[in-house]
Amino acid sequence: MSRTLPVTAPAARAPARRVSRRWGTYVYCFLVLLPVLALFAYIRLFPIARSVVLSLYNWNLASSHRPFVGLANYARLSSDENFLLALKNTTLYSISTVLCSTVLALPLALALTRATWSSTLYQALYFLPVITPMVPMAIAWKWIYDYNYGIFNYLLSLAHLPAVGWLVSAGVALWALVIMGVWKILGYNLILFLVGIRNIPAVYFEASSIDGAAGWARFRFITLPLLKPILLYVLVTATIQAYNVFTQVYVMTLGSQSAPGQAVRVLVYDIYENGFHFFRMGYASAEAVVLTLIVLGLTVIQFGAVRGEEA
Amino acid sequence: MRNVRWWAVLVQVVFLAAGGVAAGPSQAASEVTLSLWTGFPETEPFYKAAAADYAKTHPNVKVTILSTTLREHEQKLSAAVPTGTGPDIYDVGSNISAKFIDGGFLDPNPPNVDRYLKSGAWSPFVVNYMTINGKTYGLPLDDGSRASLFYNKTLFREAGIGQPPATFMELMADARKLVKVDASGKMTRSGISLRLSGQGSGITEKFRFILEPAGGSLIVRTASGKWHNGFDNEAGRATLQFYVDAVQKYHVDDPKIQHDADAFVAGNTAMLMREAWVIGEINDKNPKLDYGVVPIPKWKRSRMLLQPFGFYVNKTSANKDVAWDFLQFLTSKENAIRLTTMTGWVSERQDVDWKPLLSKTPQFGVFVSPPKGIEFYQDPVIPVFDEIQTKMATRLTAAYIDPALNGNPAKVADAIHQMAAEADELLKGAGVYGTQ
Repeated sequence: MSRTLPVTAPAARAPARRVSRRWGTYVYCFLVLLPVLALFAYIRLFPIARSVVLSLYNWNLASSHRPFVGLANYARLSSDENFLLALKNTTLYSISTVLCSTVLALPLALALTRATWSSTLYQALYFLPVITPMVPMAIAWKWIYDYNYGIFNYLLSLAHLPAVGWLVSAGVALWALVIMGVWKILGYNLILFLVGIRNIPAVYFEASSIDGAAGWARFRFITLPLLKPILLYVLVTATIQAYNVFTQVYVMTLGSQSAPGQAVRVLVYDIYENGFHFFRMGYASAEAVVLTLIVLGLTVIQFGAVRGEEA
Repeated sequence: MRNVRWWAVLVQVVFLAAGGVAAGPSQAASEVTLSLWTGFPETEPFYKAAAADYAKTHPNVKVTILSTTLREHEQKLSAAVPTGTGPDIYDVGSNISAKFIDGGFLDPNPPNVDRYLKSGAWSPFVVNYMTINGKTYGLPLDDGSRASLFYNKTLFREAGIGQPPATFMELMADARKLVKVDASGKMTRSGISLRLSGQGSGITEKFRFILEPAGGSLIVRTASGKWHNGFDNEAGRATLQFYVDAVQKYHVDDPKIQHDADAFVAGNTAMLMREAWVIGEINDKNPKLDYGVVPIPKWKRSRMLLQPFGFYVNKTSANKDVAWDFLQFLTSKENAIRLTTMTGWVSERQDVDWKPLLSKTPQFGVFVSPPKGIEFYQDPVIPVFDEIQTKMATRLTAAYIDPALNGNPAKVADAIHQMAAEADELLKGAGVYGTQ
């Protein structure tokens, strides 16, 4: 059964006014946002679009001859040993860093949930690496990893264990970077989880207590599901950050007493080398486009996985 | 009356113009500011001192200097010069200048500068290095290499070694006597500090310090002007074998311990193949170190890397004449001595009296006047050379510590073959590969 409203002239004008007001609001919002959007387009979207265009050229920075090569740069990537190695290393680094930093941050956040002075102190301590600039930090870690004078090997010597060439051994160097990467991002993830946990309404926990749930069951069926938006954010940001790893690799492979290049070759370093060392801007742009697509793809997968579970 | 006024104006213009010509290029303009970019921050005091001296006779010329690390400098130049910006003057190696010349971003030297370069102040080898397709480009300031063997005299005496090594066989034998390990077997001092780790073209450059005496070259030029690898041969294999033996068989060096100039200055290595700037490091950080410098030992031949670093005037400079005049002043005999004294880098000029410098620091001897009979080699002036060296470096660092290569000549040969194939591929990609 359908209900028909009496049609009167003033009633017909009311929706029209609402539509008009809504459009006015949209226009106002877009006008207010326009400067920021324009800036975003100029410093973000335009360079990305330009990189896509550059990737279709054999564009040498120091040469006036820049022929169009179509997808040849992309075709070359599939057989470029350095690129493939960098892709493998970056993926290993990213998976390890994201997993370790997430898995470690969550229990730490649970342990620091109570608002006590010691919790605040630990939060500050864990967050310190996040705000410390990367270059001095990487130099400090280079010394921490030093074979002769590094604190890690000193600790190993106390346990009568042999010294490890943290940065100079091909099989260890990448994992040394992972350790540093986890240390750097752990505090950030911890704070996000902490905020998420503290925002879970207490009523859920009270209800679960009445139902007899505690410990693992409470975490599994209340905390974790309600933390999913935060978990998604942590996974996405940590993955993007991990795939963009560069500074510590650059610093730690600089000089004669440093990590062997191939052992820690990562994508952004490879892009940097091709673009700013060999001046192959077109080729480097193709690598950058591939990196963007990988990160974009992983983000979509993460969104799908977490939201899929929610559904 | 009007005619008289016009004549007066004309006379004044002619007079001023004549005065301007007589005063030279710098004084023709009223105020000139030359911008100079350098990739060697340690040379900045030298440039400042030279600019101050130049200003005494050219008070209207001011020189502003921007110094950054070499890699940053190369990037800045590569972005600026092709877009018609950048400084009036810049110093840069042939890895970049070759690209600029290739792209038409550098003009050949003007006739007076060409004559100055060919005046006999520089050896024909250096002049040839600055010559591309029959035209000269830039002026040579210093030599980026002339690498030689530094040895610690105290450690040699302690080990009972009377003389520095003259051959690579002697070098390895000496290194084995000089290496020091602690009770746990951990190396605390290397016999020789080789470049074993890190990344970048420098690793391959150091490999060439041995490859060239062994009879090979990284790439060689054919009669038709093309290039191909020159190390997929006995010399290449012997050189890699030398490194692998040093690290894995004789254990005279280890990537895990302190390296390079720092190690030599601190007495943590007995020998080091490096450039003259290490003398400056020693003077600053450990002036009491008792050391000597001799040519890199002989293998099949005795060879030294010459690597002239050039000074160039930007094609788009508004003050080219003044810039070239300043560069001629900068590369004068007086400034050659000042450069070496202040920075440790050796001037390329061959007509300088080095006696005052040598009486103070005799270790400069091998750098400023290399022994007779030594052959020189140079970096090929082709844009892709830097990429060949950089990419090969990543393979070398892996090979040096690869246990599969220890005592396995077939694996060594295979590793060298792969590196050579990559070099040839890069040459092909650059369109300069050929064997005829």
